Amino acid sequence: MVKMKVLVIALLIVGVGLLAAFLFFPSEEKKVKKRFALLSEQISKEPTENPFVMANKIKGITALFGENCNFTVSDYSLSGNYTRQEISGIALRGRAHFSNLGLKCYDLKVSFPEKDFAHVNLTARLTGKSVYGEQVDETRELLCLLKKIEKKWLFSSFEVIEVLKR
Amino acid sequence: MNSKVLGKVRQFFFPPLTTGFFIRIFLIAITAYLFFSYICLPLQIKGNSMEPTYRSRGVNFCWRLRYLFSKPKRHDVVVVRFAGTKVMLLKRVVGLEGERVEFRDGKLFVNGSPLEEPYVRHPCNWNLSPRKVDNDCVYVVGDNRSMPIENHYFGQASMERIMGGPLW
Repeated sequence: MVKMKVLVIALLIVGVGLLAAFLFFPSEEKKVKKRFALLSEQISKEPTENPFVMANKIKGITALFGENCNFTVSDYSLSGNYTRQEISGIALRGRAHFSNLGLKCYDLKVSFPEKDFAHVNLTARLTGKSVYGEQVDETRELLCLLKKIEKKWLFSSFEVIEVLKR
Repeated sequence: MNSKVLGKVRQFFFPPLTTGFFIRIFLIAITAYLFFSYICLPLQIKGNSMEPTYRSRGVNFCWRLRYLFSKPKRHDVVVVRFAGTKVMLLKRVVGLEGERVEFRDGKLFVNGSPLEEPYVRHPCNWNLSPRKVDNDCVYVVGDNRSMPIENHYFGQASMERIMGGPLW
């Protein structure tokens, strides 16, 4: 009877330990996916957003990127290599164009081709309303590269996959 | 007699909850999940690029086995994977690999010859210089060409992205 009690308590402790390890020590894949969740959160905008919240969000977006980030977007003239400051300016101008904005990232497939490099293939859906009342609902497949710098996963490349080549 | 029929109806709508019943329900659920997730994908059509053939808000299914033993042919309507596993494009194949495709005053030319397209019902004024369809690709366009060419999403798609064809 006592042995049974000890066994049950031991099993419970092991279970709690495993749960704690799962929650407080996430895998690299989870850490990478969390960066996209953070990006979605920082990009989102409500009509009632005040300048203080906006400034915080721009700061938050910039902190997710490395010193330089390469964008490959065939449809628009955004392709190029941008510094963090330039990305901050683009984010500010981009968000100012919308009264309401939401970004959802899903179907994330993460791989680690090299140490401290993560390759992510995902679907991104941007919804919102421009300040002129135009509804926006765009979905694209993206290919992202993240680098681990000082224990943080930072975006270093974004490519919009061109499905139909005219 | 009436009570017999009533009994059978009751048994049909309220079967006894036996182990066999739960096993059957489980098997049906698993089969349905696998069938509609991997073989026959439900689709809801958004957008008017394939009108009048397929209207916006219409419902259909992507039959994944359509091109299991063959390749898409000209005039076939295909489902193209656009992003992830949930976003698809519904377009029509107008050019095959190695062919030259062009638009002249709204008329489609393949290898210099005009193509008969009875499914295009709206007027079109597109002009697009000739381009060659790459290997392992098909050229797809929507049936509704009444909008400006810049607003219509079309071009060559890799065969890897062809998921199948609409069921009807």
